[in-house]
Amino acid sequence: MAGFFREVARRVFSQELKDSNLASRDENDQYAPQYVLTPTGAKVNRIFLVGTLIEKEDIGTDSEYWRGRISDPTGSFLVYAGQYQPEASQFLADCELPVFVAVVGKTSTYTTDDGNVLTSIRPESIQQVDELTRDLWVLDTAKQTLERIRAVEAGEDPNSKLAKEHYFTDTDSYRVMVKKALESLKESEY
Amino acid sequence: MRQSADSIRSRFLKFGIDVPIEDIESRLEELVANFKVPSNEAQRSVTNYFLKKYSIPKNEFYVRQAEPQLTKIADFSENGQWTNLKAKVIQLWENTHDSISQVGLLGDETGIIKFTEWKNAELPKLEQGESYLFRSVVIGEYNGRFQVQLNRNSSVEKLAEVIDVIGGDFTPIARESELRNISNLLGGQWATVKGKVIQLWENSHESIEQAGLLGDPTGVIKFTNWVSSEIPYLEEGKNYVLKNVFVNEWGGKFQIQLSRSSSVEELDEDIPVGTSTLNYFGAMGDIQTGSGLIKRCPECKRALIKGVCAEHGKVKGEYDLRIKAVLDSGISTQDVLINRELTEELVGLSLDSAIAMAADALDSGVVLDKLKHELLGRYYNVSGHKFDRYILANSITPMTSLNGELIEEMLAELEVD
Repeated sequence: MAGFFREVARRVFSQELKDSNLASRDENDQYAPQYVLTPTGAKVNRIFLVGTLIEKEDIGTDSEYWRGRISDPTGSFLVYAGQYQPEASQFLADCELPVFVAVVGKTSTYTTDDGNVLTSIRPESIQQVDELTRDLWVLDTAKQTLERIRAVEAGEDPNSKLAKEHYFTDTDSYRVMVKKALESLKESEY
Repeated sequence: MRQSADSIRSRFLKFGIDVPIEDIESRLEELVANFKVPSNEAQRSVTNYFLKKYSIPKNEFYVRQAEPQLTKIADFSENGQWTNLKAKVIQLWENTHDSISQVGLLGDETGIIKFTEWKNAELPKLEQGESYLFRSVVIGEYNGRFQVQLNRNSSVEKLAEVIDVIGGDFTPIARESELRNISNLLGGQWATVKGKVIQLWENSHESIEQAGLLGDPTGVIKFTNWVSSEIPYLEEGKNYVLKNVFVNEWGGKFQIQLSRSSSVEELDEDIPVGTSTLNYFGAMGDIQTGSGLIKRCPECKRALIKGVCAEHGKVKGEYDLRIKAVLDSGISTQDVLINRELTEELVGLSLDSAIAMAADALDSGVVLDKLKHELLGRYYNVSGHKFDRYILANSITPMTSLNGELIEEMLAELEVD
């Protein structure tokens, strides 16, 4: 297994992913993984998220191509699944809304004509989960986001530095985001 | 000329053959005087002529001529030296090469040395534990060590006397290697190990009987049981003492080899494995192929691929359940192997129900789907022994509550700002 490692699935809230527009890829290697660097310095290729699937639509023309919108305490993620994600497509086709789902997937970026960078998620797996799992994910993601915020403020880690240089990251606004997410947990009983 | 002839004659006399001196002389004369052959060449040619005439094997003749000294192992001093040696065969090894008939260790009261008997030496088979007189063997050097080579010119004679071997009787049957803990094993040594077989692997090599993991309270190590060891199958979960196994290093890790010199006894006691268990917390990010309802070879427990065992061919497999999972903490990933017992408990699906499910669907893939459906995306604590890139799970438990303290702590920090 030398030389092989599995991309870690990062924990990022939807608001932060939406704010991300720095895509990077080794230009010399067409098979190199593509990463999105988020404002708090998460270098994302694979992502793990748990939220509420609130919308789904088959936007395909010839064959089925499903778009799902999954909300978290800070906003929503868009996931797209077509013929090459048969299990995820099947799930989106069959499920009833709303439902808690856990998604492991790969992020990909798309630059619009007016220069906006959109980040979408291609699911490797999508499963129905319970509310506890959703809450555990919010806590997990809040914790990891807060750790990244601290790293950006300390400015030591190369990804943190790069994020700060690119985004001029306002860490306070992300602290507010994390706080909002945590407060939503207090409404559930723990 | 007369002198050369006399010397040849006396050498043949040792073999009980009286060659007329005139015959020798006239032949030498002819070669040297008429055909300008140098004297030493002429002598050799004439000698060979008479050897042929009297049907004396060449090697026998020359060996007897130049009988090497009887030398002790510790006194071997020179690469290429011919010697005679009285020694005991203390070990016979796996023979690795077509042109070698036997390889192993010889010992005498001064030392132990490796020997190699070449196939073309056409010598009788040596027996472990027997003592022999080796004539006309050659000392060779390999990797900075002397070894004894038995070749076409060598001969072997079994001795009635028993040669004492340095450090007492070293024969493995009589003398065991030292009992060691797994964490204390070092490459290049022989050892005796007590442990539990915690896992048997699929393996693909025809000369390997079994490979897997052996554990004791100090650690876990890979073992390989070669087909030629003639040691019966070890069973998963059972405890054994493995005597005289060889420890070697491969890819930076130690492993143990069971060979023909090794022996194995099953133990009644239950050996606890590994005090150094590892804990990992993360979300289940993937369940890999080879998980779910699988079939194993009834003989060697390897997982079958399309009903075929790599070692035993097409066999009627035995069903088993297992999960090869990837846990992901967001910072790192961890491969985890979950055995049938834990899988049944975790998913609430017995092996029998899994078999029934697969039979209903005519597809064992439904079991894998169920595992994915039940487990993917959930958070788990797993503990077990680390081996290679895997944790071999002893326990796996889902998270059942939020850590309220952690939430309060983080909120407190965020309030301050």
